Amino acid sequence: MLSTDLRDNVLVVRVEEKRIDASKAPAFKDEMTRCIDAGQNQIVLDMSQVDFIDSSGLGALVSCLKRLGPRGSLAVAGATGAVSRLFTLTRMDRVFALHPNVDTAVEQLSA
Amino acid sequence: MKIRHILLLLTAFLGAALLIAVAVQIRDELLGYQTSERLEASNTVRERLLLGTAALANERSQTYVLLIGQRNEADSVAELRDVRRQVDDLLNAAERDVTATQASLSNTSNSLTILSRIRQELGNLRQQADDLLGPAEGMRGEQFAPRWFQEATRLVEELQSSRMTILQRERPLDPVLRTEAVLRAYAAILSESIARNQALMSRALGNPAEVGGLEIDAISQNAGRAELAWELIDGQMAVPLSATVKESVTRTHDSYSATFAPLQRTLMASLLGKVPPTLGPEEWYDLTERALSNVALMQRELLQSSRERLELELSRAKRSVALWSALLLLGAAAVLASILVVRRRVVRPLEGLSQAMLRLADNDLEIPLPRLARADEIGEMNDALRVFKANAIQRQRTQNEKQILHARLRDAYSQLQKDLEAAAVIQQTMLPPSSRIDGVEYHGLFRPSSLIAGDTYNVVRRTDGAVGFFQVDVAGHGAAAALVSVACHHALSQAILTRTQGTPLEEIAVQINEEWPEDLPYFTMILGEIDSRTQRASIIQAGHPSPLVIRSDGAIEVIGDGGFPVGMLPAASYEKIEFDLGPGDRLFIYSDGLVEAEDQDGEQFSETRLRTLVRDAANDPSSALLDRVNDVLRNWRGSETLDDDLSVLMLERLPERIPANAVH
Repeated sequence: MLSTDLRDNVLVVRVEEKRIDASKAPAFKDEMTRCIDAGQNQIVLDMSQVDFIDSSGLGALVSCLKRLGPRGSLAVAGATGAVSRLFTLTRMDRVFALHPNVDTAVEQLSA
Repeated sequence: MKIRHILLLLTAFLGAALLIAVAVQIRDELLGYQTSERLEASNTVRERLLLGTAALANERSQTYVLLIGQRNEADSVAELRDVRRQVDDLLNAAERDVTATQASLSNTSNSLTILSRIRQELGNLRQQADDLLGPAEGMRGEQFAPRWFQEATRLVEELQSSRMTILQRERPLDPVLRTEAVLRAYAAILSESIARNQALMSRALGNPAEVGGLEIDAISQNAGRAELAWELIDGQMAVPLSATVKESVTRTHDSYSATFAPLQRTLMASLLGKVPPTLGPEEWYDLTERALSNVALMQRELLQSSRERLELELSRAKRSVALWSALLLLGAAAVLASILVVRRRVVRPLEGLSQAMLRLADNDLEIPLPRLARADEIGEMNDALRVFKANAIQRQRTQNEKQILHARLRDAYSQLQKDLEAAAVIQQTMLPPSSRIDGVEYHGLFRPSSLIAGDTYNVVRRTDGAVGFFQVDVAGHGAAAALVSVACHHALSQAILTRTQGTPLEEIAVQINEEWPEDLPYFTMILGEIDSRTQRASIIQAGHPSPLVIRSDGAIEVIGDGGFPVGMLPAASYEKIEFDLGPGDRLFIYSDGLVEAEDQDGEQFSETRLRTLVRDAANDPSSALLDRVNDVLRNWRGSETLDDDLSVLMLERLPERIPANAVH
């Protein structure tokens, strides 16, 4: 469900799913946790493929952020439409660094 | 046709073929045995007849010489009596033998008739001879002698031919036996020729001067016949006869050629030449007697040889019959044993296995399998069958266990279902029914995606006269979310009720958020209050969709643009949103299950469609509007089911109270 790519010491995690809902959230959380536990601090989550996140998906995302803690940062790139609206509605746009695309996110993090 | 039939039929068929072959052989051997027996019987009869013929010829010679008066009567008559007794004894014996062998010989009755006739005629001849020899007759004997001799000779010939008749009927197949029979016939001719000349020559020698040409001719003829007989006898010597027989024939012939034949020729020459013969009649008679006894000896040798040969053949046939009979019994026993073995070792076990297989195929696992301690194919089949049975039992046990497990699961599920249904009833009772509090009317729509929901709402009258309300959507859905929603319901209701006057609404949110256990799922909510004395309302929006305000004039407004969910980030802050809510204005609070409900193509119902729907139904009473929302959503989904819990809470500030008697 996730594909990873290391760019400028930043791990770019691409979500290869259209939805992150209750059925996908646990797997998403597990895979992300593995990436984080592997020692990656700078992570860009490419959400450009994702059309919809439900409350479970959002919960999983937030728990990943908590796991990463203050030692690293989790940026979200390419969130549009319903995903973007959800981020706004739940004020997550203030918690996650949102970027229009992966390049700017990587640039920001690696800087 | 079953295998057992094939096997048993084959075995029986092979056995029958074997037994028939042996039986046919036994039949042949029995026939051979019967033939041998018959030959032996006929041989005995022929032997008697042969000896009888010789004896009769002897009697004839004796009687003849008596008749012609060449013998001292007193001695000779006594001698004749002996000879006659001998003949009678032999004929009696022959008759007895014929009677005894009636069963095996074919033409015995005929032989008996002939014999009895010969004996009768012999009696007559004897009477005749006695009469002629009587003292009253004087010299008549000599006169009648040739006639009598002729009659006697006829009898001898008849007896001889009766023997030949039997000989012809019972012709042996064995060349040696046949040759011996032929030799005996020739020897009989020889003997008869000598015997005739014994008598005739005696008479001629008794009175050489009166011998007629006819008499000499007869003597010569007999001599010639004897020579011919010898030639015929010699002609048979090529056949592999026994050494004894050959030796006997050679000896007799040598003796005959050396003494008798030359003497006979000399005497005949003397008679022809009217020269007085060198030999008297008595001497001739004795000499002939010796020659005859030589021939008789040869005959006996021949008879002896044939008898031995026949006995040998008979005993061989007996042995053969016994051997083949034993083989037949052995064969029958083998066939019986084969059938028994096939039945016991193949057919019965196969039947047992086949029945067991059929019963197993019918799922009859109770059937006992045959106990066979065998290493052959049937043993292997039986072992395999045991494995099948064990597997089938195992399978059935597994099946039963599965069924039990399934039943337990069903029970557990139904118990769970009952629990959930009971919980759902409780959850439903926690929700406030449509009602009004101090000029605020409220209605709810509540549709869990399963029996119980993570959504909940409540409307509470505060002690200060305000109306507090909230709607909560716990992240996720199902039982866990429902339990959390109950906790929220309680916490928020208590917080609203116990809030001391003046405490800001956002404080409640902050406090709950801070105290929310990290392990529990977060939730979104709208927490709000309507002041019944003023025209104002305020809400806290915590990650929940922005509520709509339906103005009394039908205008739709969206209140708020977001806020942190509760229980997600402990440090989250909340803002209070205040807005006007005049008489007839309605607040429409909903959970995201409403706008995120997807149709069959996966398209969400969306806020846009919701606003359009609410605008279109803005003039409907709240309950009707909620019904309409429910209907539209059901149509949108195309089914009764939902992926996420859905709830709507509508609050309406009623118009200013109108006196009951007021008239419009």
